[in-house]
Amino acid sequence: MANPIEVRKTGDHGAHVTPGIGKDVIVYVCLLVLAGVQFVMAYQNLTVSQMLTRMMFVAIIEASLAVLFFMHLYSEKRSFLIFVVVFTVSVLLGLQYGWTDSNRMINGAPYSEVK
Amino acid sequence: MHDTSVHAAAHHGPPTTFLRKHVFSQDHKVIGKQYYALALVAAYVGMFLSWLMRIHLAWTNAAIPGLQLLSQSGAPGGVMTPELYLQLLTMHGTIMVFFVLTTAPFAAFGNYFLPIQVGAEDMPFPRFNMMSFWVTFTAFLFLMASFFVGDGPSLGGWTQYAPLNAVGSVGGPGQGSGVVLWAISIALFCVGQLLGSLNFITTTLDLRVKGMSLMRLPLTAWAWFITSCMGLTAFAVLMPACILVILDHVAGTSFFVPSGTVMNDQILPHSGGSTLLWQHLFWFFGHPEVYIAIVPGLGIVSHILLANMRRQMLSQRVLIYSMGALAILSYIVYGHHMFVSGMNPFSSLVFSFPTLVITIPSTIVVLIWTFSLYGSRLRINSASLFALGFISMFVSGGVSGFFLAQPSLDIMLHATYFVVGHFHLVMGVAAMFGIFAGTYFWFPKMAGRMMNETLGKIHFWLSFVGAYCVFMPFHYLGMAGNVRRYATFVDDFLQPLIPVHRFITIAALITGFAQLIFLFNLIYSHFRGPIASQNPWEATSLEWSTPTPVPWNNFDKHPVVYHDPYQYGVKSSVGDYVMQASPEQVETEHDEK
Amino acid sequence: MSQADLTMEGHPAAAPMSGPIFSIPSKKFAMWLFIIADTMTFSACLFAYGFLRNGAPNWPRPFHSITNVAIMTFILLTSSLTMLIGVRASRAGDKPKAFLWIMVTAVLGIVFALLHIREWMGLIGEGMTMFKNPWGTGLFGSAFFSITGLHLTHVVSGVIALLAVGLRYRTGRYNADDIEVVGLYWHFVDLVWMFVVPLVYLLNLNH
Repeated sequence: MANPIEVRKTGDHGAHVTPGIGKDVIVYVCLLVLAGVQFVMAYQNLTVSQMLTRMMFVAIIEASLAVLFFMHLYSEKRSFLIFVVVFTVSVLLGLQYGWTDSNRMINGAPYSEVK
Repeated sequence: MHDTSVHAAAHHGPPTTFLRKHVFSQDHKVIGKQYYALALVAAYVGMFLSWLMRIHLAWTNAAIPGLQLLSQSGAPGGVMTPELYLQLLTMHGTIMVFFVLTTAPFAAFGNYFLPIQVGAEDMPFPRFNMMSFWVTFTAFLFLMASFFVGDGPSLGGWTQYAPLNAVGSVGGPGQGSGVVLWAISIALFCVGQLLGSLNFITTTLDLRVKGMSLMRLPLTAWAWFITSCMGLTAFAVLMPACILVILDHVAGTSFFVPSGTVMNDQILPHSGGSTLLWQHLFWFFGHPEVYIAIVPGLGIVSHILLANMRRQMLSQRVLIYSMGALAILSYIVYGHHMFVSGMNPFSSLVFSFPTLVITIPSTIVVLIWTFSLYGSRLRINSASLFALGFISMFVSGGVSGFFLAQPSLDIMLHATYFVVGHFHLVMGVAAMFGIFAGTYFWFPKMAGRMMNETLGKIHFWLSFVGAYCVFMPFHYLGMAGNVRRYATFVDDFLQPLIPVHRFITIAALITGFAQLIFLFNLIYSHFRGPIASQNPWEATSLEWSTPTPVPWNNFDKHPVVYHDPYQYGVKSSVGDYVMQASPEQVETEHDEK
Repeated sequence: MSQADLTMEGHPAAAPMSGPIFSIPSKKFAMWLFIIADTMTFSACLFAYGFLRNGAPNWPRPFHSITNVAIMTFILLTSSLTMLIGVRASRAGDKPKAFLWIMVTAVLGIVFALLHIREWMGLIGEGMTMFKNPWGTGLFGSAFFSITGLHLTHVVSGVIALLAVGLRYRTGRYNADDIEVVGLYWHFVDLVWMFVVPLVYLLNLNH
């Protein structure tokens, strides 16, 4: 009997008909620059929350570059890109509910550190 | 993820040694049965623990003969101490939620039938599948070990609320080694379910046979697929939370213990942690977990009802969308477990709304079932009875959810028996009924023999009436102010409620004995039941196209799917149905597209 | 539905399966799913860190220098690039080249791990443990060691995976698809580091 799994394993999977290493190097340089930007930010005179916002902004750009180009998500089927991004981002957003309680820790009496 | 033996099974032919065939098997069918056996053992252990608790609640301080064997210090002379009561409660909850309600409908039936229903020979990663079971089994051993190690299991309840879960033995017996074993067990369980979910999703999306489009997947396959999407992300959050608990115990950190906590007259050395952090992490897992337990039941019940009412559902598409909506919403309602535990009061409002919204897809599912059932000539057998019972429990338990979803009412009802009644009906008993329905329905395929119908019906009626006798009074107790997790009710205002507790205990004992009928039926039929034909229920999906017992690689030759999954009520050469894999063309009156 | 819609392309027996829905091999799909799950694991840890830090009045900012973490970041990013070269070479069928670059990636991973451990040793030497440190709340050590420890575990298992897959690729047991799958994992480890650096290091920089 023909083995279905065998059938699926063979064949080149379209995503990798690649333009060569040049694009990777460009992305790599971009990532290095963005990482450098974060390091520069660390020496600015900013409050923690300002710094956090800016650094996370840069980090998300970095991560998107890495996911799209290093991990080739950009050249996969568009449906797969949507599946991964929507699934991950929506679950991640669900996790963010807790911050309101975190913000109360420092002000609200029962949970704060003993001064 | 670079499993050398991916498809090793397919390359090398069936295993020959006993160990490879029955113990460390990579065959999804054997793994499914192993999961089922694990769930069966766990269910009876959990039920036995609940008996002990019920007896203690109804006859306060009665000596239970032999209880001192379970825990010498916990039950001097057989009289249960409050600590032992809480330990049994924790173990009952943990065993039932994780090792029964998650493993049986999802891992057991899913492993056995998902690949067959999509027409695959096996899951894509058989070795991961085998690991998934053995990791889960190890997790169960770790949990059971806490009965015998140190001063017994944890007493924190299955939710293991902070700071009690992180303070160590100062919190009471079992809060040292018991919690660590609990956390190790659950972390392992998460790994096992993660491996399982990977297999389920890839099986559903990648291994479908020719003709099996997504909309032609049976509802069970959809339910397992949706469940595994939830399992993939929910368990991934619980696992680090458990690791943080372990660190709090063994590494001296204090993630979950706030500064200046005084417990049992001792000031704890921890500082800076947050109790709410645990609740956020836990319930972010915990609420999807509720749906991980119930969504496979929705699929199984639909599947069984369809085969027995011999007509199509009102709308199969809407059923699938509703299950998907349940899954998505389950991630944004988790805060309703925390209305009165110190969460930001504003968040209560935010969580209350989606909690009420989540009843909409549930209601749609129930309405589709009832309107499809309306006017159909339902074939009454044990499986369809349990499916009907599932609907009944799901509705009864769901209705009390409306009350609990509202913060203002929840302030009064929280931590009373009202909540206990609610979740036992809607998540516990309903899911159990789904498991029973699935067992009666699929037993002929799994074991090759039929189960005894008479015993099955006796089992159903005793369980059905019994479950209502046990869990309905819980609601009245709750509204009367009977708090949960108390070992004894000595306060004046609770004394008049003791007769209700006695009634519940007697009902629980009878219902429990009814489960022994089921066990007898299961074991007896496995060896002595009448031989089952290939398709005893005249059902249509692919699992009934395979020979009974199912051959090692599921199909003698690859099926091709020509039909939607539930072509009942049509005229064909075999009767009023046409198999998915049958090329026959038929006329139908139900036309959904 | 009338059963006229038997949309079989070609003869059924020719290809018994519908084929993967996203046109990628199951192994790669499973790795993506694992990455989604692992994303949640790391997010939960970083969420816990942020949650506690946000509520702590005496959170310490003990790092004086970014040199070490900058070098580590550079090494990890570079290892992603070398991994890509390896993946592309394996795609092109150039086995020796692919093997070489996978080994380079593994070596860079080892260097990263060693630098990391050296940094840990330095901090431990300064009196920082899982539960206390000389600068402020003990939670800093808890969070730092937990998160970087989790990441280090991923790096170490990634190195082991690279070595195992690389060696078996050379002997022919694995093919280019497997290289790509392990590459995905390696890039993910890199991706997590992009969040760990600003959150755990740079926000705790004392200048």
